[in-house]
Amino acid sequence: MKKNKKMMVVFLTPALLIFSIVFIYPVIRTVLMSFFAVERPSTAVSEWKFTGLGNYLNIFSKNTFWRSMRNLLTIWGVGGIATMLLSLLFAVILTSGIRFKSFFRAVIYMPNVVSAVALAAMWMYYVFSERYGLLHNFFGALGLTSLSKIKWLGTDMKLWAMIIAFVFGAVGYYMLIWISGIEKIPQDLFEVATIDGAGKIKQFRYITMPLLKGTLKMNLTFWSVNAVAFFVWSKMFSPVTSENSTIVPMIYMYDLVFGSKTITETDAGAGAAIGCVLALCVLLIFFLMNHLIKDDDLEY
Amino acid sequence: MAFRKKTKEKKYHEPFNWRKEVRLLPGYILLLIWLVFTVSMVGWILAASLSTSGSIFKGEVFKSLLSGISNWHFENYVTAWTTQHVSVYFMNSLLYATSSMILLILVCAPAAYVLARFTFLGNGVIKTSFVTAMSLPQIMIILPLLSVTTRLHLTGSRVLLIFLYVAINIPYTTTFLINFFATLSRAYEEAAAIDGCSPIMTFWRIMFPLAQPGIVTVSIFNFLAIWNEYFMSLVFASTDSKRSVGVGLYTIISALKQTGDYGGLFAAVMIVFLPTFILYLLLSEKIIAGVTGGGVKG
Repeated sequence: MKKNKKMMVVFLTPALLIFSIVFIYPVIRTVLMSFFAVERPSTAVSEWKFTGLGNYLNIFSKNTFWRSMRNLLTIWGVGGIATMLLSLLFAVILTSGIRFKSFFRAVIYMPNVVSAVALAAMWMYYVFSERYGLLHNFFGALGLTSLSKIKWLGTDMKLWAMIIAFVFGAVGYYMLIWISGIEKIPQDLFEVATIDGAGKIKQFRYITMPLLKGTLKMNLTFWSVNAVAFFVWSKMFSPVTSENSTIVPMIYMYDLVFGSKTITETDAGAGAAIGCVLALCVLLIFFLMNHLIKDDDLEY
Repeated sequence: MAFRKKTKEKKYHEPFNWRKEVRLLPGYILLLIWLVFTVSMVGWILAASLSTSGSIFKGEVFKSLLSGISNWHFENYVTAWTTQHVSVYFMNSLLYATSSMILLILVCAPAAYVLARFTFLGNGVIKTSFVTAMSLPQIMIILPLLSVTTRLHLTGSRVLLIFLYVAINIPYTTTFLINFFATLSRAYEEAAAIDGCSPIMTFWRIMFPLAQPGIVTVSIFNFLAIWNEYFMSLVFASTDSKRSVGVGLYTIISALKQTGDYGGLFAAVMIVFLPTFILYLLLSEKIIAGVTGGGVKG
């Protein structure tokens, strides 16, 4: 037993030490920082000036902040519904006894292993291009001139273009989680239902869907966490300056802390406040998920 | 485990059944649309990367390629690789991803083993904090880290980036491996103890090799995540020469868009796209099984 104790200490220390340095200490410091006026992240603690909720009131009074939150909400809500429905649809198709299942599954998951910058570049400089783009040519070939003339990367459409591209990349991941949820449902349930005369759609509605509640909760949680961290795609879709049409809180915070063409005075305190607001959003979503979607903890 | 593990059904060749296939037709059509879209997107980028800005703008990418191998502009890749310094970013990413991936296993496998095997005060708390850390927005940790590293004059060093990549992936790697160690039988350790093997030796000699499938899977995921990482590299690699492919490609795209060299731009995209894509072609079954296998990456 004594030997075990020594082993436990030796084995755990490196991981826990690094974890404390890089997670626990920074989180505490960021929370504290959000209550102080701090110009730069490197400003010494002795120069921090306590402002109470000043940083929060400051960001709440900025239009850019609300714009970024509204964009984030659109990405989370509209993008989330699209991703969940598409990924569930593909999961159901792939588990319905289709041929080449693992091939199609691999194709749909593929964007998840590719650099987001490369993927976003493919969409921006090819698919959405107004001159030689895939969508332009596709709608043009069908004779739908009004659709082929859409300026996907214009101010009005940019957010939607970005959501479409992001959803395309994300679907595969959520699809895999749905598939693993569906495959855990015992086959005999469906056999019994077939004998009783229930069709495929009824089986889906009354067997698959209720039994996928836990999977839904898992998917929604992951989606929310990923949506809050939304950064690269927005950066790619407005490369020069952060545009209002695609700005998200992470970008706004980055501009506040490091400065940008429009923000010349950096404000690390406000950046920390945005971080805390986003962390609270994640907590709120966790809380809501746990209360709205009851996990029945099924035993088959 | 709330669910009983389903034994994998034996693979057999299903006889071709017309009625069944027709019923599944809508599904096939949807999958094919998705497939055709993906293939034409990647295929066009590949063709464009061997083409010139002129053909790209005229929409004649494939036409110029079909007119003969002499029209394949491989020099786009040379431009991207040397003039635009993709080689530098590529080597940086390779270094960051490989070394962090190895260090992560050395740090996390022992910790995961202890957390999976022994009950002690704080075990649950540690596991919960790892899971919480996985869902924490990264912006909650970068400001203080930036402050510490600036004051120690560490920003822009490769060692710092490797350390950070190791650190931010500890929660995921450890959680994944905890789940994996939990599936290994205790009989091995008992047998080793009877033979007089010390617990530490038992781990390295017996349990660590047994955990190899899990270690390989989690390492693939770590490699992919670090290779594609953007935010940390943007914040902590202060000079271009230390940046990884994500941030590097972003810089290149802005530069080549200015000069109008779209062939070079797509070549750079391909160079960044191909390594993980090829890795995926070789390992897709293992990667896909790993997504839902041992704890899901948040």
